[in-house]
Amino acid sequence: MAKAMFIDTSICIGCKGCQVACKEWWNLAPTKTTQVGTYENPLDLNADNYTRIRFNEYEASGKVRWLFLKWGCLQCTNAACVDVCPTAALKKNEIGFVSLERDLCNGCGYCSQACPFNIPRMETINEFTGEAKATKCTFCQDRVTNDLTPACVKTCPSAALGFTDRDKVLATAKTRVENLKQLGYTEARVYGETELGGLGRVYVLTAPASAYGLPEKPEYPALTNLWQNIVQPFGYVAAGLTAAGLALNWFATRRAQLGNVETIKPEK
Amino acid sequence: MSSMATDLQTRARQVLVLRFTGAERVAHWVHFVAFTVLLGTGLFIYAPFLKAFAVGEAGIATRLAHRVAAIAFIAAPVFYLVFSPRDFFYSLKESFTWGKDDWGWLQNAWNYYAHGKAGTMPPQGKYNAGQKFNALTQIITFGLFVITGFVMWFGKGSVSPDVFMWSVVIHDLSVIATVLLFMLHLYLVAVHPLMRESITAMFEGTVTEEFAKEHHGKWLAEKVYRKRDK
Repeated sequence: MAKAMFIDTSICIGCKGCQVACKEWWNLAPTKTTQVGTYENPLDLNADNYTRIRFNEYEASGKVRWLFLKWGCLQCTNAACVDVCPTAALKKNEIGFVSLERDLCNGCGYCSQACPFNIPRMETINEFTGEAKATKCTFCQDRVTNDLTPACVKTCPSAALGFTDRDKVLATAKTRVENLKQLGYTEARVYGETELGGLGRVYVLTAPASAYGLPEKPEYPALTNLWQNIVQPFGYVAAGLTAAGLALNWFATRRAQLGNVETIKPEK
Repeated sequence: MSSMATDLQTRARQVLVLRFTGAERVAHWVHFVAFTVLLGTGLFIYAPFLKAFAVGEAGIATRLAHRVAAIAFIAAPVFYLVFSPRDFFYSLKESFTWGKDDWGWLQNAWNYYAHGKAGTMPPQGKYNAGQKFNALTQIITFGLFVITGFVMWFGKGSVSPDVFMWSVVIHDLSVIATVLLFMLHLYLVAVHPLMRESITAMFEGTVTEEFAKEHHGKWLAEKVYRKRDK
């Protein structure tokens, strides 16, 4: 049964414990950063940071609020990265996440370009030879396939994160949104229930998606279909027709040629 | 009745016409090898049944081979330009010059190439209309291959995802266009019962005078005989 990650942004305290737990579980190197006037750190995902907390300031009815958004792969049901991956290194897992098999990845980077959320990052080993590996959050695939929760969920001190059956996560999220509305957060909403066929991360937001820097309607990239479902099959058909035409030509020409040839055979 | 072997020196003198210089032939074959390697390594990612070669370490090796071949692919026309500039520009100009004789070739092509009937086939220049079409497609797709290839090689992250994805689509379409012509080209020079002699021009540089008369009459009259008879 599909599970999902519950993320209640109204409870998140922005402590970044999830980032640390992620790094510890995956044994990821630290990223050197410089202070540029924000608590956000690091400022972007990279090959050594599968998750991070995004900090956004939001002003509504004269009050400024600080919005924390736990960020990382959203584990789309209609996952463009899975569809463009030529090696099946990326696969949709029935538990409700997009798995990543590093051994199978050849570093082509198509996933990093197809993702509507700009999630997969390439660990570039050699820019010139193109040797690289895709990286992203997999909900700790080794943990969740063994009935454990993702490392970030396990560590979260404010219970802003949860990981359980998707139905339960959605029900909890909806109840939570109702409570928030009663508390005066009129813009509270659930994000992730239907987006791209349903996301593996289900967010409880206290402000519009755009205030968190989330796309209101994330879209599956149209070019993915054009390339895989139209251009490539067209190539096979065109090559087949050409081959058939050439075979036809060969028989016609051979017939014409033999009409003007006399072959003398040796005695038996 | 029996026939004796004869000395080469006593036989009728064979007349050959130079069609391609050494540099042109080298450029052609570098292009051929590079194109074949690029096609083979590219297909690993295009065709699902070749997926095994695209996976993991094998995939990394495949992608490296694709890049090495890409450099040779770019080097071939540069070599042509540097070592045979006059022929380079002559061929380029010819490819872009289309007239009524090309239209005549198109009208007569099927009967000529399938039934051996000359009909009203007009005499052709150094390149017949089909060869010109092939050259034009090669020139245009060369540009597209190089630009979209570099976008995919070095542009990840610095160009927008849309530009990247369009590059993949254009690269694929260029492959389709060139593969169809490559099939036709290979067929004509290696399989077609009546046209196989043309390949000697790319191996030895020359064709027989009879072949040149039959297939490139206009070129023979205007560019070969006129120079010889001066």
